[in-house]
Amino acid sequence: MNRDESEPPDEALGRRLASELPRYRAPAHVRAAIRRAARGREAAWLLPALSALATAAVFTLVLLATLPATTPEDVVQELVDAVVAEHSRALMWGARRAELTPAGTRLMEESGIRLDKAFLGDDRLTFLGAEPVYLAWRRGVALHYVDPDGRHVTYVALHAPGLPLPERQRMQVDGFRPALVKSAGFGAWVWKHGDVGCFLVSDIISAAELGRFKDYFVRVRAGTEPIVY
Amino acid sequence: VPTPEFERECLVHLDALYNFAMYLTRNPPAADDLVQETYLRAFRFAHRFQPGTHLRAWLFQILRNTFLTFYRVGEREVAVAEDGVPDWDVPMFHDAPDDTALVSDAHTDLERALARLPEEFRSVLLLAEVEGMPLEDVARIMGCPVGTVKSRIFRAKERLRGLLRDYETR
Repeated sequence: MNRDESEPPDEALGRRLASELPRYRAPAHVRAAIRRAARGREAAWLLPALSALATAAVFTLVLLATLPATTPEDVVQELVDAVVAEHSRALMWGARRAELTPAGTRLMEESGIRLDKAFLGDDRLTFLGAEPVYLAWRRGVALHYVDPDGRHVTYVALHAPGLPLPERQRMQVDGFRPALVKSAGFGAWVWKHGDVGCFLVSDIISAAELGRFKDYFVRVRAGTEPIVY
Repeated sequence: VPTPEFERECLVHLDALYNFAMYLTRNPPAADDLVQETYLRAFRFAHRFQPGTHLRAWLFQILRNTFLTFYRVGEREVAVAEDGVPDWDVPMFHDAPDDTALVSDAHTDLERALARLPEEFRSVLLLAEVEGMPLEDVARIMGCPVGTVKSRIFRAKERLRGLLRDYETR
């Protein structure tokens, strides 16, 4: 029952676990983010000054309390509205300065998002191009696709740390749990990738076509990994 | 406010915590989030850390509690055995590819077999055998008595051996 010498096979398995299991090292961006958080806390001398500001903030909060509250649904809806507008623009006029390489330096510099892995299309979705976007005061990147029926699908990744997903709209899709949010006749899958809010927009939202939209989501979700640059 | 020394000591354990997070979530972006959240909580609650106790165990405890809180393992309606461990495999992380896909991504039979263990079994093995922690620390992290830890290690190894035998005979 315990780990003493009376059970050698247990010890051998224990040694095997210790020696054979791969060890994962923290990526540099995680280390850097934690250091930044620590540095932020080191600025403790700011606290007295901030407390004065906080007093002023109390008065503001009293005022804000009389205004309608913002819910997670509102935040996500605002972003989805902006992403749908961008998708509509691309539908009508095409990408502004589309790049064919989502890992392009200009794209990274302008969007502040690096795509460690990007879905470049397959037998169902053809990749049209990538471009930096600025939506709802957030920088990001958009990838455009079209399916064999000519239906356009747009993937958008935006800086959105702490984006709250509306729990009631989340659905189980092949092991993932994105939220499905609708706006102006379009549908958007919404999910998070670290500090990045991800959206996949299309007009494929009827009940009959939801299976196809789910399939596109899985292809793009599994094939794309954005991180804040 | 945590001291710079405290923060530096915390960072010494970053790789070990990340490794644990990877085996818990089996998903790199989720492991990133989990580790960052763990450190934010550690810095925020530094005043609760008792100097002289094991910082490493404290950090692992925060990480595991954060994992359980975020992914609401407790809400799963599963039948549990006497030592609190479900008797079958269930996905632990609800916004990640399911176990089958992840398990097929594993590099070795051992990693694949470990990924199939319930979280309570996987954690005790990782903490006791991979990280080499004393059983008392493992018990503190898992929030159960030392006797339960021993029992889980025994059962985890038993099940792991069975899974490894299955792989070898395929």
